[in-house]
Amino acid sequence: MRALVRAAWRAFEVSLRLRVVSPWTYLNWLLFPVIFAAIGLFMLTSSGIDRVAYGVLGGGIIGFWSVAYLDGGNSIQDERWQGTLEQIFAVPTPLFVIVIGKILSSLLLGLMSFIPTVALAYFGFHAALPGLDPVRFAVSLGVLTLSFFVIAVALTPLFAVWRWAFTVLNGLEMAVYGLCGFMFPISQLPSWLQPISYLLSPTWATRALYASANPTPSANFVSWWLAALGLSAIYLGLSFLLYRFVDARARVTGQLALA
Amino acid sequence: MTGLRKVYTSTRGTFRRTKVQNIALDGIDLAIAPGELFGLLGANGAGKTTTVKILTTLLLPTSGSARVLGRDVVTETGAVRRQIGFVFGGERGLYWRLSGLDNLRYFADLYLIPPQVSKQRIPELLAKLGLAGREHDKVEGYSRGMKQRLHLARGLLNDPDVLFLDEPTIGLDPVGARDLRLLIRGLADAGKTIFLTTHYMFEADAICDRVAVIKKGQIVAQGTPGSIKQLVGEIGVVEFEVDAITPEGLDRLRALPGVSSVATADLELAVRVTVHCAHPPDVMTRLGLVLDGVSLHRVSAREATLEDAYVELVGDST
Repeated sequence: MRALVRAAWRAFEVSLRLRVVSPWTYLNWLLFPVIFAAIGLFMLTSSGIDRVAYGVLGGGIIGFWSVAYLDGGNSIQDERWQGTLEQIFAVPTPLFVIVIGKILSSLLLGLMSFIPTVALAYFGFHAALPGLDPVRFAVSLGVLTLSFFVIAVALTPLFAVWRWAFTVLNGLEMAVYGLCGFMFPISQLPSWLQPISYLLSPTWATRALYASANPTPSANFVSWWLAALGLSAIYLGLSFLLYRFVDARARVTGQLALA
Repeated sequence: MTGLRKVYTSTRGTFRRTKVQNIALDGIDLAIAPGELFGLLGANGAGKTTTVKILTTLLLPTSGSARVLGRDVVTETGAVRRQIGFVFGGERGLYWRLSGLDNLRYFADLYLIPPQVSKQRIPELLAKLGLAGREHDKVEGYSRGMKQRLHLARGLLNDPDVLFLDEPTIGLDPVGARDLRLLIRGLADAGKTIFLTTHYMFEADAICDRVAVIKKGQIVAQGTPGSIKQLVGEIGVVEFEVDAITPEGLDRLRALPGVSSVATADLELAVRVTVHCAHPPDVMTRLGLVLDGVSLHRVSAREATLEDAYVELVGDST
């Protein structure tokens, strides 16, 4: 067990070091969130809408999501391009342990997205969150982090066996912004789309996060946290099956070696 | 390996796709003894890499079975992975933006090697493979030979009982390739079982205890390099150089009694002609008649090498 923890830690460390020297990382955690936050803040503060929290936190959540969701998978694609995917696949450490290390480094970088967006909100738009409940906010952010972590761990193996996963999952990244209410409440979505939102764990964690940042009388934090955790548990169970499938599929098709 | 077979399914066409089956391995039977340096020889696409990938648990066979150190490569994957090392030829497969040392540390942890062991083993491997002093440099600054030696160090991290080397000297300069061959032979002499694939016949001849020749996914011969040469024992080789030779001249050579194949190679100022034949002296005496008017240089006859035997066994097909 200690050896597996050490392997995950090393995967985390190596992944972090490789990302620090990659320009894509800076686009994802710094530039894109700031652009989204700037647009959101401009619209929400100038229109007088009482949803400044979406402007302050929305860009950060988007940056967090982008890095957490895609960087783990993209790093698998990078492994394929540099010819190391077969090497890490054929070691005694299970692939999911390596993926966990990679995703943890994604989460760390993703969390940093809040630094430039909150700074932009405060210094650029004088936007603040005076009603923020620090304890509920911290718990909600933790639940959101866990839900991102589970989704990333679950989807990352798809990059190993299907090269088209890179394209499809990159394309779905933005759909989730809307479906999970990162920049606006999901009540704004068409009613036929909202059931899909309810099946996504970040929806509930995001709802709790915004409610903790802006006093909301009708908030039901415990239910929302449990909904996010319950859905995450289901994803995790499905990912267990997915890893077994990926292991077998990769060894049948020989896709790991294909660039 | 018993009856090992691997069939890949792919598609052909863009809009109207049809499934195509490619047989990479077609019923391979091989047994390699502990401590043996075994060479699998074959042309590109003959099935060498597929064989190695099945044995290293990266691919599943379509049918048949393979065991490494008595363990099934399909059902006992974890146990096999712990006891083997593998090195694929070429420059890929390393983290170029990390140092050589960081590459080794990472894989040491992925091989679940205790830190106290890896702290001792990594410097030993770096010294043994001539990388000491450059271990803190990023891999992107390494020469191709250094990268290949780093690959080998990675393959030896877990002190494997069996080492798989897939075309390890490909692309290396002659000195680098020779040094690597000496290292590989040294590992075998130290007791490691080594499964090597190559299409460099002299390499197999120089270091392998036994070899097998694979053609279109089937083993067409196996034995010691000497015994493989004896399979074509009646074959000798006549070589000579000419300024130029016509297709008709080559046809006349092929028509001589006992000639099994004729090959040409362009040199800088001449063409070298290699004739595989049953009775080299007979061919040599007839050369002047067959190639009337052509000035011949450096005419010689020699015994068949492993490469000659390989050419006879494999021909021009993969």
